[in-house]
Amino acid sequence: MSKITRRTLLAGASVGLMAPRAWAQAPSEVKVGLLVPVSGLYARPGLVMRHGAEMAVDHINTQGGVKSLGGAKLKLVVLDSGDTTEKAKNAAQRMVAQEPDLVAASGAYLSSFTLAVTEVTERANLPVLTLSYSDLITDRGFKYVFQTSATAGSQAKQALPQIVKLAESASGKKPKTVAIVTDNTGASVASAKSMREGLLAENGLQLIVDETFTPPLADATSLVQKVRAARPDLLFFLPTVISDAKLLLEKMNEFGLGQGKIPTISFGIAIAEPDMLQTVSPELLQGVLTCVASWGAKGHETLIAELKSRYKEPWMTQNAISTYGDMWIIKDALEKAGKADRVAVADALRSMDGGPSKYYPLGEIKFDEKGRRVGAGMTIVQWQSGVPVTVFPPQLALAQPFLPKN
Amino acid sequence: MQNLRSLLPILAFTALYAVLSLSVTNSYYQLVMTLVPVWAVFGLSWNLLSGYTGLISFGHAAFFGIGAYTTALGQIYFDLSPWMLIPIAAMLGGIAGFLIGFPTFRLSGHYFALAMLAYPLAILYVFEWLGFQEVTLPIKRDNPIAYMQFADPRLYTLLALAMMLATILLTRLIEKSRFGMALLAIKQNEAAAEAAGINTLAWKLRAITLSGAIAGAIGAFYAVVLLMVTPQSVFGMLVSAQALTVAMFGGVGTVWGPVIGSVILIPLAETLNAEAGSRFPGIQGVIFGLAIISVILVAPEGLFWKLRDFLRKRVTSPAVATPSAPVQPAAAIANPSRPERSRGVGEVVLEVRNLSRSFGGLKAVQNVSFKLRRNEILGIIGPNGAGKTTLFNLLNGFLRPGTGEILLDGRDMSGRKPHELCEAGIGRTFQIMRPFLRMSISDNVVVGAYVRARTDAEARRLATEAIARVGLSDIADRIAGELTTKELRLMELARALAGQPRILLLDETLAGLGHDEANEVVAVIQRLARDGMTIAIIEHTMQAMVRLVDSFLVLDHGAVIVEGEPEAVTRDSRVIEAYLGKKWVAHAPH
Repeated sequence: MSKITRRTLLAGASVGLMAPRAWAQAPSEVKVGLLVPVSGLYARPGLVMRHGAEMAVDHINTQGGVKSLGGAKLKLVVLDSGDTTEKAKNAAQRMVAQEPDLVAASGAYLSSFTLAVTEVTERANLPVLTLSYSDLITDRGFKYVFQTSATAGSQAKQALPQIVKLAESASGKKPKTVAIVTDNTGASVASAKSMREGLLAENGLQLIVDETFTPPLADATSLVQKVRAARPDLLFFLPTVISDAKLLLEKMNEFGLGQGKIPTISFGIAIAEPDMLQTVSPELLQGVLTCVASWGAKGHETLIAELKSRYKEPWMTQNAISTYGDMWIIKDALEKAGKADRVAVADALRSMDGGPSKYYPLGEIKFDEKGRRVGAGMTIVQWQSGVPVTVFPPQLALAQPFLPKN
Repeated sequence: MQNLRSLLPILAFTALYAVLSLSVTNSYYQLVMTLVPVWAVFGLSWNLLSGYTGLISFGHAAFFGIGAYTTALGQIYFDLSPWMLIPIAAMLGGIAGFLIGFPTFRLSGHYFALAMLAYPLAILYVFEWLGFQEVTLPIKRDNPIAYMQFADPRLYTLLALAMMLATILLTRLIEKSRFGMALLAIKQNEAAAEAAGINTLAWKLRAITLSGAIAGAIGAFYAVVLLMVTPQSVFGMLVSAQALTVAMFGGVGTVWGPVIGSVILIPLAETLNAEAGSRFPGIQGVIFGLAIISVILVAPEGLFWKLRDFLRKRVTSPAVATPSAPVQPAAAIANPSRPERSRGVGEVVLEVRNLSRSFGGLKAVQNVSFKLRRNEILGIIGPNGAGKTTLFNLLNGFLRPGTGEILLDGRDMSGRKPHELCEAGIGRTFQIMRPFLRMSISDNVVVGAYVRARTDAEARRLATEAIARVGLSDIADRIAGELTTKELRLMELARALAGQPRILLLDETLAGLGHDEANEVVAVIQRLARDGMTIAIIEHTMQAMVRLVDSFLVLDHGAVIVEGEPEAVTRDSRVIEAYLGKKWVAHAPH
């Protein structure tokens, strides 16, 4: 306990108080950027990313910093990407112009922000690690962007067979029909698109309801009525806004479809955010599954505990664990590069072979020529008694998945 | 020469900005330097439509976004360069402006603003549906210059600055021409503009087309700077709001407004994002909002006008101390008497047959017939609500007649648009004056001249003549806002005269004037009649009318009750009854 207190103090000191004077001791310090939304609509996930980064930087520094640089400490520079693409791009420009000694950065939550930010960082030769899903991020032939998550297209491909298997083992028969209810934001559309265009067919599933809505929903009745009329074996529900998730789940319950009568599977983090519990009762959420790129899982127990005690977060989402991992990757790259130079760090990232991944699901700490993490897996998370826990892959699972039997 | 002098501040500002931007090497400040002219141009494009016509557009993001997507998609799918795509975007923006304007100009006021709001939002969803949530401009490593991808960000600033200068010059050109005059007239009073012979729909369509083209071009350039396009970032509410914010902050209806707004607000927002945002996330929005609110409270029309009024006051206050002698019309006659003219002999120029119009159950005008002969002054009188103004509105095309005919030189003109009737030679003034307060008398009057004039010079000549005819030549350069009621009435008269009408419809031209002032105006009207003008005049004040008119048409409850010479009409018991009530008929001298 005393250890944590000291660590907290240290973090406070290094991040906050000493910041203006920090440059004076430059040789013993290496600056790492975190460009995330800390204001506006997406401030909440941005804050959690910051938690993850701060924890990692503290851990790295208390464990002796970057050894190949004589124990240099990491120093986190947080920049606000705001809530629009333009603000994100301007913040990136600010980052590269005013923090010339940054060696690498992590960011920028939304795929569209990351796309804009990396357009700038690519031109400034600044390596950026990202948890964003969009395939486009690493399809542009960029050399300085590294995607630690499985891409959206790949996630759906990995998840679907698991979902089918899970449904089959729970109900005893293979699911045949599915409904898709999705909002029209970038990530949701990409996931739904890959399902419609072949993925469902490959898994022997037939699409019988296909509804796209614009967030925020005013009323979910008509959507749920269509689902009820068709009675699919599975419902894929892809919201980005928490209030939409609430509306639909409540309406499902009202129509007698809730609490797993029709197994509900989501993509992305929205439906498993801690904020969900402020508006939706745990009973309604019980059994809801979501497929995310990363989640606090087996092996992260101490991290989860620290996040809980230090930041009062009820569980560790992708935003915290992935950003935590990003800082460690940057640290490893610095060790390998042997100098605090962004181009050298990028080279190190490209040629890195860090073995099995610790903080991201499956695969290795190694990037292919596009900048995608080799073998990047994904996690399936299920709401169980008011907590979303990792249920897949089995080696990371903290609990067994279940589906209520009809 | 005059033109060149007025351009000097603009050229000086642009040059200064260019020099300043060249001295900045920090790439982030460079980006901000680029964004200032970008948003200034967008504000100018908004200003061209909304600032000058007064039709507020909440939907300029529609054009901006179309431009941005043109660059992005054109480069991705057709491998075209932004150098070519920006003009294409301007074209597409213009087409979009025309297509949006055509149906939307049926609306006005708040309805227009709200309808405009819908377009970008609708297009936003179309682009999302098409799967263009995130589009990035591919990096061209081989031939960057050909694809407008400069290594030195200062070139973007210069390019944006060039676009801004071009837009300012274009706006200035429009401002000074009949185009600008027409738009200003529409802003002040669309009905009056129509009556002055301006085809308002045509001018508004031209304005929105041009405005759309500018917005499209700058949107296309913005995509090059932002490097990626999402529907939210170019069609979103905030984009439309940006145009309004910079223009309203800086000043509406002037080229300086959006420029001032942009120069102040864009760096302010950026600095706040950079400095306050990382310390107190979210505070930047609060400070930015408060700054805008306080400026709008202090200077509701924008900084430019506030500043200009302030400077003008300081410059002109010594002049007020030595007042110039009040200008009198040449013929200031006390109690002018009615000149004898032979009546009932001239040829009929305007004939009205059985004209009727009702609003629901109210018969505003019923079965009115009369003839107006050349060089005659017809007085139309009647108590309030008798249907006098409605009759004028029917005659000049504001209202379509229910039944009946209006024959101008024997041709049926009923149901024509006001600007067509104006072209045909019917000019009118209004009971409630609608001067263009910030414009000089000559500028006010020239608006009315364009219906006849082919060139700007000719319009100026006609306006000067008209001003001379009403006796305002000496104060022709004064701003309308500084004039007395009498001068404003005369100015309105001059505006109607500038279109060289053959028939003048004067709606309560003497209202609100003192006895002597009324006499001066009456003298002017008499002079017009002497010079061959045919006039119909609505008036309450019988006394002035009796001396002025050749014959009276008395309306009550929308119908003609008496028609005849002034002396006979004023003694008619039906007229007295209509004006004063039954019990006064007995007291009336017979």
